Amino acid sequence: MNAAAFVLLAAMIAMYVVLDGYDLGVAAVSPLVARNGEQRAAAMASIGPFWNGNEVWLIAAGGVLFALFPRAYASAFSGFYLPFTVVLWLLMFRGIALELRNHFTSELWRSFWDTAFTGASALLAVLFGVALGNLVRGLPLDAHGYFLGRFAFLLNPYALAVGLFALLALAQHGLAFLVLRTDGELADRSKRLLARLWWGVLLLYFATTLASLALRSAAAIDAPLRLAPLAVLSLLALGGVHWFTRVGKPGPAFAASGLFLASLVLAAAATMYPYLLPAFPAGSGGITIANAGPGPGGLGLTVALTLPGLAAVVIYSIFVIRRMRGAPRPTGD
Amino acid sequence: METAVVADRIQFAFTVMFHYLFPIATIGLAPFIAWFAWRAARGNDEVARRASLFWTKIFAINFAVGVVTGIPMEFAFGTNWAPFSAKAGAVIGQPLAMEGVYAFFLESVFLGIMLYGRHRVSPRLYAWSATLVGAGSWLSGFFIVATDAWMQHPVGYRVASDGSIRLANIGALLLSPFAWWQYAHVVVGALVAGAFIVAGVGAYYLLAKREIEDGRYYVRLGAVVALVASVLIIFPTGDRNSADVTKYQPVKLAAMEGLFHSTNGAPLAIIGMPDTQRRELIDPVVVPNVLSFLAYGNFTANVKGLTEYADTLWPPVALTYYAYHVMVGLGTIFVAIAALAVLLLWRRKLTDFRPMLWVLMLAMPFPYIANEAGWVVSEVGRQPWVIYGIMRTADAASTNVAAGETVFTLIGFAGMYFLLGLLFMLLVLREIALGPNVEAHATREAEV
Repeated sequence: MNAAAFVLLAAMIAMYVVLDGYDLGVAAVSPLVARNGEQRAAAMASIGPFWNGNEVWLIAAGGVLFALFPRAYASAFSGFYLPFTVVLWLLMFRGIALELRNHFTSELWRSFWDTAFTGASALLAVLFGVALGNLVRGLPLDAHGYFLGRFAFLLNPYALAVGLFALLALAQHGLAFLVLRTDGELADRSKRLLARLWWGVLLLYFATTLASLALRSAAAIDAPLRLAPLAVLSLLALGGVHWFTRVGKPGPAFAASGLFLASLVLAAAATMYPYLLPAFPAGSGGITIANAGPGPGGLGLTVALTLPGLAAVVIYSIFVIRRMRGAPRPTGD
Repeated sequence: METAVVADRIQFAFTVMFHYLFPIATIGLAPFIAWFAWRAARGNDEVARRASLFWTKIFAINFAVGVVTGIPMEFAFGTNWAPFSAKAGAVIGQPLAMEGVYAFFLESVFLGIMLYGRHRVSPRLYAWSATLVGAGSWLSGFFIVATDAWMQHPVGYRVASDGSIRLANIGALLLSPFAWWQYAHVVVGALVAGAFIVAGVGAYYLLAKREIEDGRYYVRLGAVVALVASVLIIFPTGDRNSADVTKYQPVKLAAMEGLFHSTNGAPLAIIGMPDTQRRELIDPVVVPNVLSFLAYGNFTANVKGLTEYADTLWPPVALTYYAYHVMVGLGTIFVAIAALAVLLLWRRKLTDFRPMLWVLMLAMPFPYIANEAGWVVSEVGRQPWVIYGIMRTADAASTNVAAGETVFTLIGFAGMYFLLGLLFMLLVLREIALGPNVEAHATREAEV
């Protein structure tokens, strides 16, 4: 049951990265591909109806982590106090920016909030990557499982490389979304940038994967069965992004980009398993799924109460996305 | 108390009280918007159609600010209150997780249709979306109140060998009568606010001699709902909350009433200043025997005073007392205003009687004050406990976060919320000034 709870959590975070990833990506790349107010508005409108629902995956994953593994939740959030507050502020800034831009038609007003939206989103992508990098690398835990996440410790070369990788991978995802959901000059420019950016993603993919293996060599030796399929999947998916973009199939290209992100999150989770917060340096213990939770009975209840709700969410989200597809109806009202 | 704990408490109170302003409006306005949308979907009610679009714009601004100020709340348990989360997370994490999974998703996903889908979906689906967004906001409120109610009156738990608290019975937590009465009181309180907002905006239009047709509709509907809701806030919901506090939190009751010494046939203090040094209520105006009746249904019953308990178990008496009296006093005034308005409506004079319209317009901020005062009574009044009878607030704050860090982020939140509050006022007042007859200006739809 502990393992099922871990998988549920990893799947929710992967879902968050895949879904909020495209709107973070669109925000981050929009100044590069949208050259005028009209194109910027089209880029924003493509994610407008969905970003809020996407972000709920993070909130829900936070709640489920809280219920499943309270000790890990308490330790991680208090330990990352200042970095976490920065993430919260960026999430808040981003949320209001997209809402506020629509309230005035003034070009000045809109360019301010669009820049705020882009800046906050790009920084969030980097910070999420840095956080993931540090989770894989391990944290300086004390005897009670608490730690102090000093910036000097967190901003190490490995975590920064993962942060840059996250920015590029989410930018790729956002570009694939723009190719799929917009048209004209905006879609063409997104497609060209996607083709070039892909090489950067590929390079950083190999660099960070090798660095991760060096850091967590034990995991690779213990768990080749967990990691090998995910490694193959992520390579295939990354190849798919390139191939489908070249042959002009934006739907499969976007799906491949989502699969690539999901496989990376799951690979990071598989590397960490069974640790939720591995200690630094690697191999010196940490908070695991066995010592962070309320025991099998409680975990089973949380998993049982969460899964039907998430199934319903997936169903009605698909319904809403389908209903919102296409041009507005030219009705009299 | 340590500086760090004080800083954590101030930060939590400030951020949650600011956040609460927005759910009050969304929970209170959601039923109105669903009503307007269904009326618009059913027939040719042009005023209702305009109303559904106009109030959705106001709702959307409240929702956006509510979301961004709500995100820090969930994470504050982990950042600022880590020992509390580690001890009780298996219990309180559960309703919080359910809030995300069962309520917040519903609100957020269908709000996409409300904001961007007016020209893409049928009026019926639009009305369904408004209903589901409203249901999501009410459900969200339930899970949050259920979490708080458990901290006020813990049920369905067991203590594990390592000292942490485990959930023994989720049904007991979610179906706790304490939680349900508290929830009923909270949502009805939000509905009072929603009704006074609708009536107040309508009154403004009538006073300004514009949007007459819309203004009349808002004032009439708002006045009727305000009367029903402000009666329900006192009876049965307020009454049942008092009974629960009497039974489970007698110290809070004594602080709310400023009752220092146990009394047979305790009087109800209408006015007075509690003095914790001299342990008496200074310059009181009281109604004899009424407190005993309200608490126990018996005019001569014995009500326990604060001096029955060690003063380490007292909540901050003055704050609890004044907040309670502000809440109850305002609640009584709301009934009087709404009753007068409905009386005038019955005599067909409401929408032309300008003094009443002035009162309705100026009444708008006061339900917010009453709701916030209610939060203070509930949450300050249960101090020194974070989990009643189980864990003290002083032991709940993160020890690996320095007071300076908390003060730094508190200042950050204060600055950010000040600007956010200004922007919010600017946008809402602008929507009201533009009014329901301005068709989608600067619309999202136009660009999609």
